[in-house]
Amino acid sequence: MEDMLEDTVLVNLRINGKPHELEIPPHTSLLDLLRDDLNLTGTHMGCMTGHCGACTVSIDGRVAKSCITLAATLGRAKITTIEGLTKEDGTLSAVQHAFWDEAGFQCAFCAPGMLLCTSELLEGNPDPTDEDIEKALAGNLCRCTGYQSIRRAVKAAIASNKQAAE
Amino acid sequence: MGEAVYTNDFNFPGQLHAHVLRSPHAAAKIKSVDVSGAEKVSGVVRVMEGAEAAELLNPIPHYIDPAVFGGRSAKIRCLAKDHVWCFGQPVAVVVAEDKRTARYAASRIVVDYEVTTPVIDPEEAVKDGAPKVVPDWDANMIMQVPFANGDADAAFEAADRVIKTDVKVHRFSTQPIETRTYNAVYDAGTESVTLYGTVQNPHPLRNVLSKILRMPENKIRIHAPVIGGAFGMKMHGHPEEGLMCLLSKVTKRPVKWVEDREECLLIGAREQVHSVELAVKDDGTILGLRDHYIANTGAPSACPGWGMAFLTGLTMPGPYAVTDLDVMLSAVVTNKPSWNASRGYGKEVTALALELSIEHAARELGIDPVDIRMKNFIAKDQFPYDSPTGLIYDSGDYAGVLEKALEAVGYEDWKAQQAQARKEGRYIGIGIGYELTPEGGTLPGTMVAGYDSSSVRVGPDGSVRVLTGVTTPGSGNPTGIAQIVADELGVPLDSIEVVQGDTTTCPYGFGNSSGRSTIVGGGSAAKAAQEVRAKIIKVAAALLQAKDEDVTMVNGVISSKGGASIDLEEVCYACYTRAYDVASVIEPPLEATATFKPGLVRHTPNEKGQINPYPSYSNAAYVAISEVDVDTGQVKLLKFSAAHDCGKVINPILVEGQACGAIMFGIGGAMSENIEFDANGRQLTKNFMDYVMPRIGDMPHVALAHHDSPNPVTYMGLKGAGEAGVGGSAAAVVNSVNNALSSFGVMMTELPLTAPRVWAAIQEAKKSAGSQREGA
Repeated sequence: MEDMLEDTVLVNLRINGKPHELEIPPHTSLLDLLRDDLNLTGTHMGCMTGHCGACTVSIDGRVAKSCITLAATLGRAKITTIEGLTKEDGTLSAVQHAFWDEAGFQCAFCAPGMLLCTSELLEGNPDPTDEDIEKALAGNLCRCTGYQSIRRAVKAAIASNKQAAE
Repeated sequence: MGEAVYTNDFNFPGQLHAHVLRSPHAAAKIKSVDVSGAEKVSGVVRVMEGAEAAELLNPIPHYIDPAVFGGRSAKIRCLAKDHVWCFGQPVAVVVAEDKRTARYAASRIVVDYEVTTPVIDPEEAVKDGAPKVVPDWDANMIMQVPFANGDADAAFEAADRVIKTDVKVHRFSTQPIETRTYNAVYDAGTESVTLYGTVQNPHPLRNVLSKILRMPENKIRIHAPVIGGAFGMKMHGHPEEGLMCLLSKVTKRPVKWVEDREECLLIGAREQVHSVELAVKDDGTILGLRDHYIANTGAPSACPGWGMAFLTGLTMPGPYAVTDLDVMLSAVVTNKPSWNASRGYGKEVTALALELSIEHAARELGIDPVDIRMKNFIAKDQFPYDSPTGLIYDSGDYAGVLEKALEAVGYEDWKAQQAQARKEGRYIGIGIGYELTPEGGTLPGTMVAGYDSSSVRVGPDGSVRVLTGVTTPGSGNPTGIAQIVADELGVPLDSIEVVQGDTTTCPYGFGNSSGRSTIVGGGSAAKAAQEVRAKIIKVAAALLQAKDEDVTMVNGVISSKGGASIDLEEVCYACYTRAYDVASVIEPPLEATATFKPGLVRHTPNEKGQINPYPSYSNAAYVAISEVDVDTGQVKLLKFSAAHDCGKVINPILVEGQACGAIMFGIGGAMSENIEFDANGRQLTKNFMDYVMPRIGDMPHVALAHHDSPNPVTYMGLKGAGEAGVGGSAAAVVNSVNNALSSFGVMMTELPLTAPRVWAAIQEAKKSAGSQREGA
């Protein structure tokens, strides 16, 4: 057992557009890799069982729970974290803006999941229904807002995207 | 975004990680602890078990010591020594170079337990001969407290009927998404320790740590960064707080501990058994209330959770004008894990007990649930109102609030829809819940303080810094405080920075609890801002060669009646640099510290020995519309409304956020959240698969109405918006389900209303209706 703790594997990942080559123990979760090895602390630990969604990231364009994803299984994957949502010049994305304006967050610990899932939803579907919104955010727990301001924020993001498209 | 820094985001050079080994038994003697296996694991720096910790640490002082109120007080250790009294109690701790090594090494510690018989059920715990949870106590009882007034016996004598309702509230808790986290950094050079932590009340914790660690308070610094939700759970008394400080001291390196979800679920709350009796007249008038209730507070703890059980009785009979009262609390200890404070702080159980009973009475008497409440509410011209338990309700208009909630949900319309649905074989129910949630509480002789302090500092550049003793659990109170200061000073909102949660920089304060932060944090910041504003105006007047009273400051622009104007920055710079000239009229710097201490609180007992620990009595009405699938027992919430009297509203968005969040706690508690145990007291609920909290699709839209009756004794009439919502909304949900199933005769008063339970209740009701028919 002691020896097992010392094994490592080599992983190559592109995270928020930047390539990374890391030697990690094989049991390292993507969450730990992001937080502990790369100091990308915007991704949060809430449960470590995949139920709360505070650790949500995007892997090759699909949202995933980084706490139950082994980093060693992600050969050459492209990963976006909440830090990667903000544009290079530091300005916020339309989804981030909407959550800010509508007080979509209180403590904001659930923010990674809410923002990444909403972003993914709107990329694939510019005009989602209430049911689509509920499905997209079903994997993300918020304990502060009762989801009312979150729904409003998602709708504001939809409206602002539509306005931008016109 | 993604830039907020939470406790777990701090890492320091040489960072170590701790893992706590916990008892797998509810009750056992510890015969020996062998840590040698853990010490052999490569990467382990330090292992400690209970006997050594007891040498190095004093017991944890109670947040609210039951002994202060005449109850039994237990010695609380950071690590168990000699015996364990609940599942999950910390027994040993490992510190290692990384968290996985610490966890693995903890599994190599061998504890020899002699398992004893636990007592889990509170009614069993109070029987003669029950096993003792605390070996040197003569009974499993923290305290029994009567809340009696008038002549309840006479009221029951005079009643047309007595309606008895057994209300069972289960164990459910707050579960913020950020778990508790502590990172202790000892500095050997100055012999001081800094604790970065998820802490609601930094200054009071510093006092507690000084006692545990045997260090003076001025050698301890608490820094509470951004917090990912708290709701009471991050109030102190937890063993890990002192333990991490000690481990950093002995290893001379920073030591971090991050609670996992399974550990977080060990912290209980709310579990109470009520048998409410209402003495009623046939017209629905309530003459008297009797309720001898038992709270299962679990094993003793230094956290303030047990006090919730006390508050439940103290806030009876809520918004109702009942004066003949025979209420009795039995706060019982068992071998379940301990409680901590949970949003609602016992007042949610008051609301559940009262509102379920009143609904039951309305059904038995054949009276409309709205009418029975309207008949018994305290009238709006009766304030300030002396409650039968000694409280002084500041203000209120309960009938007006309920009317607003009914209007917001569309009550008459739903009654029509309900009748129509019933014809189609669908079961729609309408349920009402009312709750009174006093906020801003303060208890004499404890660190639960009623007042707080803030400093306002304006720099030579005109930028504003507010340092306040209240803290935020992530609810947005700094925004509210900044708004208040912006208005009082007359400067733009974005020029204000609010600093909280640091014992070294902030004035001595009591953090966040009891919905107090905007009342006392905002109130004290307003007073300090007024003082600073007066200084700025004086110097501006000198610069503009005008009279003080002719100078105004609005949004950072200072102008005189004569039409001359001057920049805030120019005035502020002059305040600092021209002390012998135009600024000689003031005493620099542009700083003031003020304290806000709301009135109405009475800590000197009255002739009945009663105190009033609250300045502010927020209250709210809730209406739930639900539909029950009678084939499966599943409940769907269709609509929800809330009307809230939290006094003057500073920021409607923040208040909406508080209300909707608390309502979700109520809905979750009523429907699905439940912490369960096996017969031996081992906790079965370990993760969010077991502990089912509402997700976005479970929450109906909440139509929110405000009905403000300003508090006469607080700044601007604030009342507090943090706590209302849990009990009233839970009661509304339960009442709506019972209302939907009234044709079956279903009256469920044991929570939560999970689908299997609702289904079973329908089957039971059908069966008994069938047997009655057969009998007839």
